[in-house]
Amino acid sequence: MTDQLSTTFAALADPTRRAILERLRAKGECTVGELASPFTETMSMPAVSKHLRVLERAGLISQRREAQRRQCRVEPEPLRDVLNWTEHYRVLWEGRLDRMDSYLQELQQGKGARHAASKRKK
Amino acid sequence: MLQASGRNKDTFTVSTPSENEIRMTRVFNAPRALVYEVMTKPEHIRRWWGNLGEGYSVPVCEVDLRVGCKWKFVNRHPQGEATFYGEYKELNPPDRVVFTEIFAPFPDAVSVVTAELEELEGGSKTFLRATVAYPSQEVRDMVMGTGMAQGAGTSYDRLEDILAELQ
Repeated sequence: MTDQLSTTFAALADPTRRAILERLRAKGECTVGELASPFTETMSMPAVSKHLRVLERAGLISQRREAQRRQCRVEPEPLRDVLNWTEHYRVLWEGRLDRMDSYLQELQQGKGARHAASKRKK
Repeated sequence: MLQASGRNKDTFTVSTPSENEIRMTRVFNAPRALVYEVMTKPEHIRRWWGNLGEGYSVPVCEVDLRVGCKWKFVNRHPQGEATFYGEYKELNPPDRVVFTEIFAPFPDAVSVVTAELEELEGGSKTFLRATVAYPSQEVRDMVMGTGMAQGAGTSYDRLEDILAELQ
């Protein structure tokens, strides 16, 4: 799976990575060490680093070097794209079908389709 | 955010027939030929697709309703615009349409939508079965997880909070 959307979704699918992202969002820009500290209680630093690399590859975070330390921050764009995309399916599909139902009623009433109108409940 | 207004709201169902698919069903109080028309003609599509209330409109609605030809819809919404496009793969009025769908920022992520229409109650109602095949199980799960199926994956909801705070 190489498309950007799947890469981003795969990165977000892991609860540890979502927790890392949330911690980074709360702290703003911070060093890798600060970001990793609560997670290294339950996993190794290389394991945390691996999660960070997955997030970075997905474009969800960026890292830059500053005075021997790596600074991390959240990149909002991919997250915004993902939410726009999923919102389309989550809200819009149901909303559209609902709107189509209402529109079909309007259409049939507008044409004076008495047969359809008589079938309505209430 | 969106209030249900259609009378058949309670007929909406969501299921997962395979690892990368989501299936949605819905009943409409209209004959099948009319439902097919409303789903495929731009003058109708503009009125319902993405036209979900105040702040929503469909400024672009291009349909070349032939197999192998393209469609493109732009949904203007309170936060901006979203462009979707794709290609018709099968057109069998009045019971079946298959098309691809791409959300413009992700041109590689192609979903395939199969819409099937069945007559109910002697033809006065229509049953729609829309099956969306996503590029991968990850994508499918994310779509499900964001709340389309009630109660699933509420942890993803936090992503929306994250985004809200970043803006």
